[in-house]
Amino acid sequence: MDSINPWLDPVEVRRLADRLMKPNRDPAAPLADAGFGEGFVGYADAPLSQPAAPPPLPPQMVPAPAPPANTPPPQAASPTTARGPFLDRISRFRDWMRHNFSATGVFILDREGAVIFDESHHGRLHFLARSLALASRRPGASAGNVHVKIGADATLEVIPVETAYGSLVLGAVVPEALDPAAVLAVMEALALVAAPPGEDLKSPT
Amino acid sequence: MGKTTVSINLAHSFARAGVKTLLVDADPQGSVGLSLTRQSRLLTGFYDYLADPGISLDRLIVPTRLETFSLVASGQGSDYEAGGGGMGAHLARVRAFIRSVSARGFDLCIIDTAAGLFGVTGDVIASSDAILIPQQAEPLGIRSVPKLLEGLNRLRVMNPRLSVLGVCLTMVQHDLAESTEAAAALRQLLPQEMVFQTQIPRDGLFVRASARGLPIGVLEDGAGAQVVFDSLRAEIEAKLEPNSGHRAARG
Repeated sequence: MDSINPWLDPVEVRRLADRLMKPNRDPAAPLADAGFGEGFVGYADAPLSQPAAPPPLPPQMVPAPAPPANTPPPQAASPTTARGPFLDRISRFRDWMRHNFSATGVFILDREGAVIFDESHHGRLHFLARSLALASRRPGASAGNVHVKIGADATLEVIPVETAYGSLVLGAVVPEALDPAAVLAVMEALALVAAPPGEDLKSPT
Repeated sequence: MGKTTVSINLAHSFARAGVKTLLVDADPQGSVGLSLTRQSRLLTGFYDYLADPGISLDRLIVPTRLETFSLVASGQGSDYEAGGGGMGAHLARVRAFIRSVSARGFDLCIIDTAAGLFGVTGDVIASSDAILIPQQAEPLGIRSVPKLLEGLNRLRVMNPRLSVLGVCLTMVQHDLAESTEAAAALRQLLPQEMVFQTQIPRDGLFVRASARGLPIGVLEDGAGAQVVFDSLRAEIEAKLEPNSGHRAARG
């Protein structure tokens, strides 16, 4: 078996095989329309609690000063309503993603799946991102980030983020899956960006 | 390797046993169609269905001389799918296809996919009840098994209903040490229930059958080879027995 065994880890192969042969947890469950494929790298399973060295947030991402009391909070339901300071902050966030993670496409969906911001110009990715985000939810826990390879040098990183406006789903096309520290930095950055002006948020750095 | 041969002859075996079977060519190269239907490139097929919501299943089904055996060709739309396409892009349509097959009264739908776990193949696996993995008995193929298992585990996250029927060794050459060693190594590596007892030998009959556009069991001297696929069918039936509802398997 020298032509085979040195190339394989039999214990790992057996572990993978045993997992596959386990009976289905819920065979009657309806199929979720999640857009996974060969490139589905899997759920990020590393804990996010102890980041190694998140990239620093740019100074311009510090929350804006408090507006007058009668200023309405930024609307975040559709691209047409994402205007003014909120859009500026999102644009800076996009630049930050580009600079730190070489993100070539960034979009943000709200909890209903509506597009808040999109510079990816790939509508299909919205569906995929939302499906991945939904599928990543675990009972009693918040959704974790998921990444899926969508091309030879492109990975869609999907990061659900709890913000002052509820759950947002960030989709970013990056060259490689982000490590847990980077994911945490992105989550904090987006939460900061989405916070209403004047809300007292601490910079993650 | 050997997917198309397994798909065609297994589907034929089920059909001969009275199971109303639909064999679908989901390989952009259209090997099933090329094997069994001379005009396959002119037929509207699976990829056309994926691309055009206006196409119904009825337009795709090609009957055969065996009443219980029907085919769906790959179609003309397959040309631009050769690159694989994005994941999940056709998921909803693939599932609509399988629902239509079930509603049309087929007992079994065998889908012969392209190699790999990406693109439309990934969508098919994510929509199927069961998967059969033909694996050529040669060292290089066996070395790729861990990657295959990893990929299937990921796909099973999104389709928990997916039942892994197992690996079927194909192109086994008893007169070649490397081939028999590879087969033995795979059986040693994987749980016993994951590797079919039946294995498909390398046989000139298969070449002759495909040259004539026929399942091997139809050849005058094909009865012996047909026994192999009947045996594989029996093993699959035993595994599918506990399941209910429509059955779609990727060959």
